[in-house]
Amino acid sequence: MVGFMKKDIAMIKSNFKLIGILLVIYVLMGLLGQMDISFILPFMIVMIMISTFSYDDYNKWDAYSISLPNGRKNSVMSKYITTILMILVTSIITIILSFIISYIKTSTINYEQILITMLGTIFGTLLVLTFMYPVIYKFGLEKARIAIFVIVFGLVIIGGFLFKYVDLSNIGKSLTFLENYLVIILIVITIVMVYVSYKISNNIFSKKEF
Amino acid sequence: MENILEVKNLCKKYDNFELKNITFSLPKGMIMGFIGENGAGKTTTIKAILDIIKSYSGEIKIFGLDNRKYESKIKEDIGVVLDDMFFPEILTPNDIDNAMRGIYKNWDSKMFYDYLKEFSLLPNQQIKTFSKGMRKKLEIVTALSHHPKLLILDEPTSGLDPVARAEITQIFQSILEKEDCSILLSSHITTDLEHIADYITFISNGEIVLSKTTDELLDNYGIVKCREKEFRSIAKKDYIKYIKTKYEYEVLVENKKDFKAKYNIAVIDKITLDDLMVLMIKGEE
Repeated sequence: MVGFMKKDIAMIKSNFKLIGILLVIYVLMGLLGQMDISFILPFMIVMIMISTFSYDDYNKWDAYSISLPNGRKNSVMSKYITTILMILVTSIITIILSFIISYIKTSTINYEQILITMLGTIFGTLLVLTFMYPVIYKFGLEKARIAIFVIVFGLVIIGGFLFKYVDLSNIGKSLTFLENYLVIILIVITIVMVYVSYKISNNIFSKKEF
Repeated sequence: MENILEVKNLCKKYDNFELKNITFSLPKGMIMGFIGENGAGKTTTIKAILDIIKSYSGEIKIFGLDNRKYESKIKEDIGVVLDDMFFPEILTPNDIDNAMRGIYKNWDSKMFYDYLKEFSLLPNQQIKTFSKGMRKKLEIVTALSHHPKLLILDEPTSGLDPVARAEITQIFQSILEKEDCSILLSSHITTDLEHIADYITFISNGEIVLSKTTDELLDNYGIVKCREKEFRSIAKKDYIKYIKTKYEYEVLVENKKDFKAKYNIAVIDKITLDDLMVLMIKGEE
């Protein structure tokens, strides 16, 4: 497994410069402007991880990886763990920088605000992973792009329809009791959803023929 | 003799192609040349052995163990070069070494770097900057550097110039001298195999046509070249296939000596694997 992860990390190495530039932009925007773009780094790293699928595909790594010990299993697990690891690392970096920026600007650190924002970001990035990876394993990256477009488009339409024609205010009120447990609920949902996504991808890949 | 690889009754059906009852075995310490025309089923057979395709019937044993049940244990001791399948080309040999250390228990970094040096492959250069020959060499070096007991090589010399091919053939020979290793080597460049293969297994249109030692094949089989009148005098059971060329008949016989004793036809040539393939595939019965 470790070997497969090292391969995936080596593949995104060349993007570290871009990450560095984004970090600088983030710090500058944080210090100068009002806009909060703390989501950018974790989302960027997910996009970069997704791009590794196209390199894998180009050189038929997936087929080759099966010839290696435990290749079918490790190949998929490595993609998930590497991505999650990278999301966590970039999130932690962002959190630390946000603390520093917050301190420089206001002489205090707005812990709660920053941590809630980052938790939302982590949830969002893992949501992308949860939906994208099984689709990529099933259809390949090219077709997955279209599939994701359709899914997002569908969600937007359904969402818009709900907001326009359904009165959601009551539901909102009845959900307030959840707020106290929001963090725990979010974490549990995230873990379950990523686990299910991994199981699906693993199942798809374990049957795949090349 | 102990068999390193045994394939029994392997069948796999596609819409437009079928592997039919593929059966052969590779004894320990030997090189088997796996030959056949393009699309004959060489790569499909190799993919089945490696579990890259799954839905097939039949039995495959490697090191005496079932290839699916003991997959990870078996694969620790197999080195592979597959046609057009490898690490992503944005990686460097350094990255490969780093990854492989976490993949194979027996990965030998020193051996890997020694080979890289021997073949003038730069460790910190991306694979995409390598020429086709260099890339193949890197694939072979990668396959060798964990002391495999079985090498499975699918077309390792295709698309290479004669110099690179000779170099690569030499690597295989030296590996066999140094290591306790057996090789299954598929190729349609049969001249490479005549020099190094102990066994030849010939697959055509999804079926095994023959599987014999190279010596048996090259010493016994022959091509009789004769006129039509002479050809008519040959009994059907005494030849395998024939081709009619512009001036003469070329007739494939299984045993040159027996044929000579029976018929008074002067020209019986030694056979090459290329001749054998052409006659077997294109010839008439």
